[in-house]
Amino acid sequence: MKILAIDTSGLTATVAVCEDDRLVATFSIQYKTTHSQILMPMLEKIKELTNLDLKSIDAIALAAGPGSFTGLRIGTATAKGLCLALNVPLIAVPTMDAMAYNLYGVERLICPMMDARRSQVYTGVYTFVPEKSEDTSLYKYVMKTVLDQKCASIDEIAEYLNEQGKPVTILGDGVPVYLDALEKKLKVPFSVASVSQDRQNAAALCAVAAQYMREGKITEADSFAPEYLRPSQAERTAKENQKDTVAAASGNGNSSENSQGALEKTFGMKIPKVKERVFIRLMKAEDIDVAAAQEKENLGKEAWTLDQLLTASTRDDTIYLVAEKSGKVIGLCGVQNIQGDGEITNVSVAKDMRGEGVGYKMMRQLLERGRGIGIENYTMEVRSQNAAARRLYEKLGFKSDGKRPGFYDNPKDDAEIYWLRKQQ
Amino acid sequence: MIIDKKTEDDGVIMMSIKSGEKETAPDKEKEASGKDHVTILAIESSCDETAAAVVRDGREVLSNIISSQIALHTVYGGVVPEIASRKHVEKVNYCVREALSQANLKLEDIDAIAVTYGPGLVGALLVGVSEAKALSFATGIPLVGVHHIEGHISANYIENKDLKPPFVCLVVSGGHSHLVVVKDYGEYEIIGQTRDDAAGEAFDKVARAIGLGYPGGPKIDKAAKEGNPDAISFPAAKIANAEYDFSFSGLKSAVLNYINIQRMQGDDFNKNDLAASFQKAVVDVLTEHAIRAVKEYGYDKLAIAGGVASNTALRQSLEKACKDNNISFYSPSPVLCTDNAAMIGAAGYYEYMKGVRADLTLNAVPNLPLGDRERRFHGRQSL
Repeated sequence: MKILAIDTSGLTATVAVCEDDRLVATFSIQYKTTHSQILMPMLEKIKELTNLDLKSIDAIALAAGPGSFTGLRIGTATAKGLCLALNVPLIAVPTMDAMAYNLYGVERLICPMMDARRSQVYTGVYTFVPEKSEDTSLYKYVMKTVLDQKCASIDEIAEYLNEQGKPVTILGDGVPVYLDALEKKLKVPFSVASVSQDRQNAAALCAVAAQYMREGKITEADSFAPEYLRPSQAERTAKENQKDTVAAASGNGNSSENSQGALEKTFGMKIPKVKERVFIRLMKAEDIDVAAAQEKENLGKEAWTLDQLLTASTRDDTIYLVAEKSGKVIGLCGVQNIQGDGEITNVSVAKDMRGEGVGYKMMRQLLERGRGIGIENYTMEVRSQNAAARRLYEKLGFKSDGKRPGFYDNPKDDAEIYWLRKQQ
Repeated sequence: MIIDKKTEDDGVIMMSIKSGEKETAPDKEKEASGKDHVTILAIESSCDETAAAVVRDGREVLSNIISSQIALHTVYGGVVPEIASRKHVEKVNYCVREALSQANLKLEDIDAIAVTYGPGLVGALLVGVSEAKALSFATGIPLVGVHHIEGHISANYIENKDLKPPFVCLVVSGGHSHLVVVKDYGEYEIIGQTRDDAAGEAFDKVARAIGLGYPGGPKIDKAAKEGNPDAISFPAAKIANAEYDFSFSGLKSAVLNYINIQRMQGDDFNKNDLAASFQKAVVDVLTEHAIRAVKEYGYDKLAIAGGVASNTALRQSLEKACKDNNISFYSPSPVLCTDNAAMIGAAGYYEYMKGVRADLTLNAVPNLPLGDRERRFHGRQSL
């Protein structure tokens, strides 16, 4: 079993090749050159000096984050390219796990920390537990995770370590940056790893990856994304600006659930499922049948036909969302942008799912996403008698702007014209 | 031109662009002799589009896959580099795989891998460059670094099989406004450029100011169709003593001033008229400069390229001016004006044929200059 390992998460670019229990090559450089310029030449050198036949590689191991955003992407894109070309799986090892493995056999607490700026570090806490084999005095160490890798402030991690009350060894590029602060804050005995162990090292990554491989913990490279542990600045700012945006059920969660079955099939292993909840996502072509049937049930003659839905939902100036629970479409809504005014064309929720806030959740997302395609004001018509719907729209900030008398038939009803204007 | 479009759960739109032309029956003799064709796999990730394509002999597009993130960025009123880079990493393998599969080819069938290495957003470029280098390293297929704008210019070769240098090309996009003389394949001379904002940038800013939203180009184009281009008179976007240069920042300020004055006076203005008048000011100066350049340099061909080249008013204006002046006018289909990898494959082909090769130190160069640059990397020729 041959593994090629890449770690470009920090300042050090490091690559290694191991074959079963033999480390064939390891190459680390911490110098001024960028990962983008140094990584591939390092691999090429290893290939040349060890007569490495790339076709003999069984998997690519990658430090899967956290780390420098750009560094992670250089490593990830490189690993993905290699996986695609060599047709091998990816082994994604959390960066902190691989770093902690540098200190194999250390029974103290091990705390890797990478500088994440703004007085924060990417960190985690680990330790090695000895396990004696039955008939000899040979001990093997197993790495245990005490604290999962996370982004934490120096105060937070120091407090955590103090609570543990155990000696700790720290390592990583966060150490020189925060050593003064740690000396003041840490009450537990602590030491700093030696220069031979204190940075990312692909040899340790290889060792962890080999274990992953034996346990079948492999990843499909195409859909893999590194673990940044932090949203982008723009997303942070946007979130702060609009504190109560619909953060819940976005399409992302759903896509991972969809790929679940495929992943399990590919790799023949169980992957824990996320608990059932309502997802709001963009309507897809395969939803149209169900959505049209639901419209028909809810609205009878006024319902849009399948064709109408299909035409409307594939336009550039519309957004159609569906709510999904346990893989079933339970709600639908849509908006069309007319020069900055968004006409809400459809809103419906399956009969047995009403009163659970599905409509509200769906509409909040629709209004939010609509702003993204340039909609400033929203408008819609609703039956005057439909009190539940009117309550929902009023809760969303819509205000009645007038009536169209006798607009609806069966039963005869007025249409209430609702507007949600930008300044309201 | 057929576009297969699919919106994914995360808001990214996957597109596959097909020429719609009937496939020519494979030439049995050529196929048998094997190496008559040069097939390029191209990768592009300079801004908010992850794209991969397979192009044969620089002109024939076998597949053209674009994964557009535009919907993710509209919320922020422009491209957010970190978000773009993150999406590129997620999509890049899908695009490459899909491009190969639609071309019905395997990596082994590819003669060279072409990749955009600049100009663009550095984090975004790095994804394509890293992927391309890894593919090249793992397979031994030669690597060619391509200039993004040279790609845009080369988009003209795809649908205009008869277009050959020399010609003049007007490159207008969100980041660029250049008048370029294409002397030969891969030989470019910049004769005019913007002194400040790019044309597309001015479109975006004006669109935002009048509340049309992002992306500004198509929004203004659409609104302008309903407006009167002569309603408001804006200054020309020219520079004194620099006959081929542009300046759009002054024009943009004039538009913003106009809006402010109207608002202060409590007057309402017609968005459509304003859009039309602004657009006319941009189009007039682009047209005038381009036509004059073709005539003064003694050529008879004008091509346009870049995102703004899909603006209908600009196309019409140039088409008419070219007709009046006996100049042949070339333009890519709108979908080939936006960022795509087929154009990188076209440009990459001509670079490859000249012997240009990149080695594995190839890096992303966010401000890579056009034309006059160190382009020959004497690395591996092939393995």
